[in-house]
Amino acid sequence: MEPLPNGNSTVTNATTASATATSLPSLHAGVPSSKLSQLTESLKLEHQFLRVPFEHYKKTIRANHRAVEKEVSAVMSGLSDAGDLSQDDAVQHLNSLVSRLQGLKRKLEDGSRAENLQAQRCRARLDHLESADADNISEWNNTRLKRILVDYMLRMSYYDTATKLAESSSIQDLVDIEIFYEAKKVIDALRNKEVAPALAWCADNKSRLKKAKSKFEFQLRLQEFIELVRSDNNVRAVMYARKYLAPWAATYMKELQKVFATLAFTSNTGCEIYKVLFEPKQWDYLMDQFKQEFCRLYGMTLEPLLNIYLQAGLSALKTPFCYEDDCTKEDPLSQESFRKLAMPLPFSKQHHSKLVCYITKELMDTENPPLVLPNGYVYSTKALEEMATNNNGKITCPRTGLVYNYTEVTKAYIS
Amino acid sequence: MDLNNIKDAFDRVTKKQKVSSSKSQEVVEQMSQEIEQALSGIQSATNSTFPQPDHNLILTELKAKLKEIAPLGQLEGTQKELNLALSKYIKLLEKHFNPDISRSYRNVDFDLHTINQIIASHFYREGMFDIGDCFVNEAHEESVVDRKTHFLEMYQILESMKSRDLGPALKWATTNHEKLRQNGSDIELKLHRLQFMEILQHGRRDEALKYARAYFSPFANQHLPEIQKLMACLLWAGKLESSPYSELLSPTHWAKLAHELAQQFCNLLGESYQSPLSVTIAAGVQGLPTLLKLMNVMNGKKNEWQSMKQLPVPIDIDQEFQFHSIFVCPVSRDQASEENPPMLMSCGHVLCKQSITKLSKNNSTRPFKCPYCPTEVEVGQCRRLYF
Repeated sequence: MEPLPNGNSTVTNATTASATATSLPSLHAGVPSSKLSQLTESLKLEHQFLRVPFEHYKKTIRANHRAVEKEVSAVMSGLSDAGDLSQDDAVQHLNSLVSRLQGLKRKLEDGSRAENLQAQRCRARLDHLESADADNISEWNNTRLKRILVDYMLRMSYYDTATKLAESSSIQDLVDIEIFYEAKKVIDALRNKEVAPALAWCADNKSRLKKAKSKFEFQLRLQEFIELVRSDNNVRAVMYARKYLAPWAATYMKELQKVFATLAFTSNTGCEIYKVLFEPKQWDYLMDQFKQEFCRLYGMTLEPLLNIYLQAGLSALKTPFCYEDDCTKEDPLSQESFRKLAMPLPFSKQHHSKLVCYITKELMDTENPPLVLPNGYVYSTKALEEMATNNNGKITCPRTGLVYNYTEVTKAYIS
Repeated sequence: MDLNNIKDAFDRVTKKQKVSSSKSQEVVEQMSQEIEQALSGIQSATNSTFPQPDHNLILTELKAKLKEIAPLGQLEGTQKELNLALSKYIKLLEKHFNPDISRSYRNVDFDLHTINQIIASHFYREGMFDIGDCFVNEAHEESVVDRKTHFLEMYQILESMKSRDLGPALKWATTNHEKLRQNGSDIELKLHRLQFMEILQHGRRDEALKYARAYFSPFANQHLPEIQKLMACLLWAGKLESSPYSELLSPTHWAKLAHELAQQFCNLLGESYQSPLSVTIAAGVQGLPTLLKLMNVMNGKKNEWQSMKQLPVPIDIDQEFQFHSIFVCPVSRDQASEENPPMLMSCGHVLCKQSITKLSKNNSTRPFKCPYCPTEVEVGQCRRLYF
């Protein structure tokens, strides 16, 4: 007899729960508190979701502050520096200051608008988290999966897929596409062996990078130096080093010395230590470095969310039985790709027996105790009772085909 | 989750941001005005006949005035308050949310291609064929495209559904009527219902009645109340929005039904009901908090974490993720395996084989006492169990 497959997803549970009793204990209407606390715990994992737009918001605010301060200082000093002027000059000077301030006013308006938009986005995310409750949980979870997938796409630079996916479920506010586009510019440039956008990014985020003691800018400068050496522009290389590498000398002397020595070895060197500095994969390394710095600055995890959740899920699901041939296809680990990913991960552990009836896939517990056939195979009371009722008291073991009487079963007591 | 604290903190931030913004604009306005005043002062000097102050004097006055206004100082005040609110909010976020969920991530070989294949299969089986194609293109994962042909029929049915054509879907449901019934699925009825509502919404009452007569009867046994509801809808043909059943018109039904059809289709193809990626991520969401706590407790023992073969604590996830029977011997707390199978004793209690061997002190002839009841058990009488 074919084992009855579980035909009911959580979406259709409501309508078919009465027809087949495959609803799960923890979803019973009378026990919501564990589900809710589970929900709360899962919401606590959403730090990145709230932090990233907020960092963006903060950045915009700080940039606007700096712009205002700069312009205002410029006007103030423009005024105080003005010595004895002729009347016409004075008028001209004051006019220029006024128009500068007008320009600033417009900039402030634009800046304020941008800040408000970003505040709205932060707020939208807070609202989204709040909207999760027991009623819409499966839809909310679906949206979460899509968010996780968009995050993966963005990290892997699959921008088209990310955009399409976000549009298809209207979750543009809940994902960080624009922020990753910022990163895309830098990454694309680095791929083309250009450091300019990366350096501009460093300048934009100077104070925070400094606080984090980041050496990324230094690494960019080193690479530029190496490129100059590669093209035999030794004089320029030295000048470059004097201007841009010297400030970092105090902290990174050894590295500086090593790279500086490439001047002597040139790009055709056979010496391994220096040869590796000229390899194109140094640029890949720079791209990775950038991604790390970028993620750190915005409060994002270094690894894609997908990988993090996948690892956790695989470990939670992994049992030695998953690798057997008769593993049910409902178990993701019955699939080759999942098995491969789960190989290096630890198995899950149980402290108490959890028994699942082969026929109904339901839990066998004190309400539905396990019954043992004379051949040692075990099934749930519900399954065997139903089978006996429909077959004149006879039971057929689905796995061995042996037939017994319902009277021949014995009860097993499992704690 | 009570987010009120956080919402309030955020409102404070936006308030300070607006204050800072308006202060900036105010200050710039002030400066503008003073300079313009000075400007008109200088210009009017040329027009009148009275002796007017020297333009340089006006300039000096202007400088003094601006120093008095101290624009930079004013800006600094509001900016400082805003910055304070910003950092406070971040601290609050870090307190209420886990700031680094990657702490329990293991640096093991997580093959990119395998992951991409899993994602592509997920898109195809969920019916997101356009997105799947786009992804396969960008990720250069062409090997998965044959998976798509597996779902080609499903693709065509879902595409038709997108343009509100239920023909292929109904044909499929009718063809697979028996199997769907065995699965306990009522999707056929749901499809007929949707079609019925479509017809009715366009006011074609007679056609709807004919449709109902033709298709609803096989479902009368199990779903009578549902059918009665639908027949009642006939009264509101063409103006269903005002009927008590207007909810049935909601476009979400189409999306939900498409999803359910995909699930049933996959099942009939021999695939699992749920996308394995969805299931794994759902399990991961439930299990990650425990893993992170565990990592905290193990605090930095990275080597141990990386190399452990089994998690030291159980991860509580929902029953729906229990795909296998796990027997844990109540005496030794070991998990049963091929080498150490569960054995049924004559009293009905179950222990693992090794526990029984230990309890009987390796003497297979003498009976021993079951640890849970006063029955004497003979080793030879213990039967191996298969869950």
